[in-house]
Amino acid sequence: MTAPGEEQQVSSGFVRSYVITGGRGLPDAEDLSLVTLVTLAPESQPPPNPSPEVKAIWELCSGGYLSVAEVAGHLGLPVGVARLLLQDLHQQGHLLRRKAPPPAQLVDRKILEEVLHGLQVRFG
Amino acid sequence: MTFAQGPLVWALVVVALVAVGAVLRARAINVKLRRNHAELRQERDALLHQRDELHVVHNTLLQRQSAELAEVRKDAEEETKAVLKAAVRTLQGLADEQQVVIEKAQRKYGDDPGILADLMAMDHANSQFGRRAQGIAVLCGGWLGRRETVASVFDVARSAQGRIRHFDRVRVNGQVNFSVVSRAVEPVAVVLAELLANATNYSAPGTPVEINIQAVPTGVCLIVDDAGLGMGQEEKDRAAALLSPQAAISVSSLGIPPQFGFAVSGMLAARYGFRVSVDSVSPYGGVRAVVLIPDELLTTEAPPAAAPAEAPEAALSPAPQVRQPDQWQARAHSQAQPHPQHQAQAPSPAPAPTPLFPPVPQPDTATQPLAQITTTAGGLPKRRRKSPVSAVPSAEAGPARSNEETASRLGAFQRGTRSGRDTTTTEGPEFQ
Repeated sequence: MTAPGEEQQVSSGFVRSYVITGGRGLPDAEDLSLVTLVTLAPESQPPPNPSPEVKAIWELCSGGYLSVAEVAGHLGLPVGVARLLLQDLHQQGHLLRRKAPPPAQLVDRKILEEVLHGLQVRFG
Repeated sequence: MTFAQGPLVWALVVVALVAVGAVLRARAINVKLRRNHAELRQERDALLHQRDELHVVHNTLLQRQSAELAEVRKDAEEETKAVLKAAVRTLQGLADEQQVVIEKAQRKYGDDPGILADLMAMDHANSQFGRRAQGIAVLCGGWLGRRETVASVFDVARSAQGRIRHFDRVRVNGQVNFSVVSRAVEPVAVVLAELLANATNYSAPGTPVEINIQAVPTGVCLIVDDAGLGMGQEEKDRAAALLSPQAAISVSSLGIPPQFGFAVSGMLAARYGFRVSVDSVSPYGGVRAVVLIPDELLTTEAPPAAAPAEAPEAALSPAPQVRQPDQWQARAHSQAQPHPQHQAQAPSPAPAPTPLFPPVPQPDTATQPLAQITTTAGGLPKRRRKSPVSAVPSAEAGPARSNEETASRLGAFQRGTRSGRDTTTTEGPEFQ
């Protein structure tokens, strides 16, 4: 069955991303940022007839909190597509999400200098 | 009396003579005419014969001409097909290449919904372009590209869905635990895409098109139902003829614009051994097209790409897993290019355990008989020295170093060990 032309390989992905989203609009990046952590809500039942992607997310997220970026990486999907699927699950109440901890606030330089001075006066 | 009778007799004699003369003359003419007649008949026969001969010659000439005409047509068709095939081959390659580029871009800029949406639109247009190129290639006797991995029937249906314009009207129902063997993945997807394209093009814009996947005793059926107007008997006959092709289909017979959906489906189905039929009516009133994939083209092997291999492990472990970034980069990479390692994983049923020391003779031992490889009491082969190993450098091996060079090397070594022991350094390279 192998003819001269057949060994030419097709290397592109098989299922297109717009089929996975069903051609729907993509959610905003702010809604579920790359570092937002998601996990399965306790005691939630998987939706009937899940698509392979939803099944994979279900398995990935059942282990604990995982960031959106990690989920997308494991699925091998663009972040926007994974975000849409996660948003669906969230809206159906299957998913809990937690904002990433806010970045540490910078302390005022003046206070630090005063503390340093105080320490130097006392011990130095 | 004689005299008295004389004139009468004479008259009679004259009459008799005249009569005899006339009879003789008539006979002579008769003979001549007969001869003429016979000659003419002969001539006519000869001419008739000649005519028949000419008829035969004429017929053979006609036959030869039509045969030659057919041959010339066939040659021209084949030449056209060969040229088209070669041209389309590059188009197919380019479409595939572009698809890979778009996929990479989608992963790279996937965080921005605007960019991702545009990339998806490009992807969609490119997929349709690729399908068209594949269709023309098949009609010209060319081949589709070959996939390296099996794909689940559900994914084949979704892949087909992605190759048509109105993919958002298509719904895929039902999942079976079967995969399509790697060599049939593309053909089935292309045929299904052509059927979906027909279904969406010949039904009202808002109506849904359904793919139902059903396992049947002889394989798996992919049933495409649309809510269009259906086909007339004439169209059905034409479709049936194209779907079970008796001979090569001429490219020029497909009309302008060419309608090659059924022709492509028929050729691929015949080549790979699955069945396509469009003769039934869908419950929505439109056409029901059925692709029957026989057991020979199915496997129970799970597709490698869709569900990550480490996923069950993640499900089992209670604590969130900290994954090394390079690990999932590698995964993404392996998904982007599903190649040899998947092939290596593929079905090899219970491979014989690899021997610890494969008895492959090295080139320098090839001359030795294999029996000479002795084994230990435990059955392990004894290691034998293959070639003489000499610790003595050959005379011309090492280039002679000057004293300065030796000194600088030793100095560098010393500096290195000192900086290595220096505990105050935190960042090595910056410190030097």
